[in-house]
Amino acid sequence: MESCPRNRETCPKLLDLIPRGRKWHQEEKNNTDHEHKLELRLAPPGGDEEDHYAVNKKNIETRNNNIVKEAEDKPIFNGGNHSSASNKTIYTPHISHKRTAPGPVVGWPPVRSFRKNLASTSSSKLGNESSLGGQVNKNSDGEKQVQPKREGMFVKINMDSVLIGRKIDLNAYNSYKQLSFAVDKLFRGLLAAQRENSGGEGEEKPIINSLDGKGEFTLTYEDNEGDKMLVGDVPWHMFISSVKRLRVIKSSEISSALRFGCSKQQKLRT
Amino acid sequence: MNRATKLRPSTSEMNYFPDEVIEHIFDFVASHRDRNSISLVNKSWHKIERYSRRQVFIGNCYAISPERLIRRFPCLRSLTLKGKPHFADFNLVPHEWGGFLHPWIDALAKGRVKLEELRLKRMVVSDESLELLSRSFVGFKSLVLVSCDGFTTDGLASIAANCRNLRELDLQENEIDDHRGQWLNCFPDTCTTLVSLNFACLKGEINLSALERLVARSPNLKSLKVNRAVPLDALARLMSCCASQLVDLGVGCYENNEPEPESFAKLLFAIAKCTSLRSLSGFSEVGQLCLTAFIPISANLTSLNLSYAAEIQGNHLIKFVHFCKRLQRLWILDSIGDKGLEVVASSCKELQELRVFPSDLHDEEDNNNTAVTEVGLVAISAGCPKLHSILYFCKQMTNAALITVAKNCPNFIRFRLCILEPNKPDHITSQSLDEGFGAIVQACKGLRRLSVSGLLTDKVFLYIGMYAEQLEMLSIAFAGDTDKGMLDVLNGCKKLRKLEIRDSPFGNAALLADVGKYETMRSLWMSSCEVTLGGCKRLARNAPWLNVEIINENESGRMERNEEDEREKVDRLYLYRTVVGTRKDAPPCVTIL
Repeated sequence: MESCPRNRETCPKLLDLIPRGRKWHQEEKNNTDHEHKLELRLAPPGGDEEDHYAVNKKNIETRNNNIVKEAEDKPIFNGGNHSSASNKTIYTPHISHKRTAPGPVVGWPPVRSFRKNLASTSSSKLGNESSLGGQVNKNSDGEKQVQPKREGMFVKINMDSVLIGRKIDLNAYNSYKQLSFAVDKLFRGLLAAQRENSGGEGEEKPIINSLDGKGEFTLTYEDNEGDKMLVGDVPWHMFISSVKRLRVIKSSEISSALRFGCSKQQKLRT
Repeated sequence: MNRATKLRPSTSEMNYFPDEVIEHIFDFVASHRDRNSISLVNKSWHKIERYSRRQVFIGNCYAISPERLIRRFPCLRSLTLKGKPHFADFNLVPHEWGGFLHPWIDALAKGRVKLEELRLKRMVVSDESLELLSRSFVGFKSLVLVSCDGFTTDGLASIAANCRNLRELDLQENEIDDHRGQWLNCFPDTCTTLVSLNFACLKGEINLSALERLVARSPNLKSLKVNRAVPLDALARLMSCCASQLVDLGVGCYENNEPEPESFAKLLFAIAKCTSLRSLSGFSEVGQLCLTAFIPISANLTSLNLSYAAEIQGNHLIKFVHFCKRLQRLWILDSIGDKGLEVVASSCKELQELRVFPSDLHDEEDNNNTAVTEVGLVAISAGCPKLHSILYFCKQMTNAALITVAKNCPNFIRFRLCILEPNKPDHITSQSLDEGFGAIVQACKGLRRLSVSGLLTDKVFLYIGMYAEQLEMLSIAFAGDTDKGMLDVLNGCKKLRKLEIRDSPFGNAALLADVGKYETMRSLWMSSCEVTLGGCKRLARNAPWLNVEIINENESGRMERNEEDEREKVDRLYLYRTVVGTRKDAPPCVTIL
């Protein structure tokens, strides 16, 4: 698979994930067909792409921290030939900082684990289309579990250094191997596009190997108690019943991620 | 206030009174700071004060040893202990760092202290300690554990079973391993003294009938906070038992879908009887229907904590808060939005303390359009004249807003602002927020606690040093440019007791400028700053009355440290004054210089 901007066949899949008419920005000034302009385009910069998204800090709400910080640098769909303005279709303008905190910062924001778990449990309930419809059951441990309905259990999946996350239907797979392969396919294109921009190789190689940790990336997940866990420890059905979202992290980050994120809770359980 | 300095030499006349009279006079002095001052007047007063002291507060459990405590205050009845540094709440301190309760219980038991109350914060408590506690103090009445960990429900079972006169068991936000045993059953049938029971932080199932029987035989029960394992119909039954005397209620239950009409009706009926209810909390797994059930008594509420109510949408929160005309304390999620805060500002004129917590930290797509901004903060400051304490998590802030807030509310005692994105400037002018925070410290002459955030230069610390004369605790993150910032704070804030700094460019020059300052402070925390191992070693050498702890990244770090380059930056530094020297219970990841 080639990198996205060149291969028009694969990229439309990504386009399809973005619902039409979704409001990415607050009120447009004088735009009758702003929906049309909100679409991601693959065409080279046309006249109608460059005007309004350039910089309007007052009208544009800051969104994802990661998106803001990286907006100037590596827009995914930029093959390197486009002006950065044309890629502001989805990214908010870069706000200058002195010291940018990289990615997720340990212990920030200063909120106790109790509260973080609460927020994540709730957001996955409210944001997760299908698990809401599931029956709330109590298993023998007395812990609440949501049994997913058969028709699709979509969870968010993010990857380090990739700005846009995906959603993946866990019910479509029956084993970790299938999941690993699917995740790999999902992100390969995006990752390759980014690598290409930064001058790296755009090779097609398996980037994820969650099971033996040999790959450059490892698959982790966040469970229904808000803890970050390594994928693969428990039987598949147990994983399915407790997973809330997935994250692909660099294998080298594992030890620090595990320690700072949840060492306290991990140790309590053992 | 230091009363000792106000007394003139004629106090010697007071010494002609018998000790019992002087002691009786001291009984009216409750604040531990005032009592500390009293004890400094002369030897006689020191002795009388010692033997009459009933409550002792120890802000850092490693500042003194239990044996010395008991030697000085042999008649103490109530002890408050704090263990881990504040940033342990945010996973910045290794789990095994310390703060163990056991040596204290051991010493208190051996010293035959008639302990009645124990309040712990961020301590490591074991089941063995709880067992020993339950067996050693016959008159033990009150156990309050806040943000502690290391124990299980088995420990609670010992407390329940052995503390015959237990009045208060209050568990707030602890990490408790829930064995889902029958700890509630362990309260003997003869136990009828409960006044306050809070187990909201327990995650597992409990024995509902044991709970109901316990509540039924506790005629003095005023405060009941249950966990999520107590469903609506059980809650209704519990409330009916003690409705008339209930002052403080914590709700939280599994809610399958909609509550059954019959249970709901029972709940409504029970609520109607709760005429004394003033404080409401919980709702962690409860929908809005359950909240609206409480509207009939909402006008009586003085304290409302909905900060765990992640299931309840903003508009329902707003609707409820609108009725709470007498509210003094409100803890809520930012899903209430700026509009909701405007409603609070117009409805809750008695409001003194507000905390707004972030509701969705994982919302990377920012679907949450109702999170709060500077607009909500300004509205609150304008509408609530009695506001003195605020903790506010928000997405954005401006200097203009902070200046307005300072003008509206010069009475702040605690002002903690957390802008979620580090280093974020004023979102309209793109400038730093130095002027905004400067206005706060200048206007709020009584400010004792401050947390700053957003884009900040050394200037804000110049202002803090200049104006924050009463400041006791300061939290800094991702702020400042040079050592001058930290120096201005250390030199200017005479009453500073706790300083905690993370990810800011302060280094050895600031750390070492005034070593004596740290003797006037309880502790200093610096993580991801510019201090080096060499600087810390120098500090430790010049200040033997300080414990200078380096918390290493790798847990086996201790042996390697000796060979480390002194120019190596220290990841986490925690130093505190102590009269008992290096502690012996530090784990391998902590090096004490």
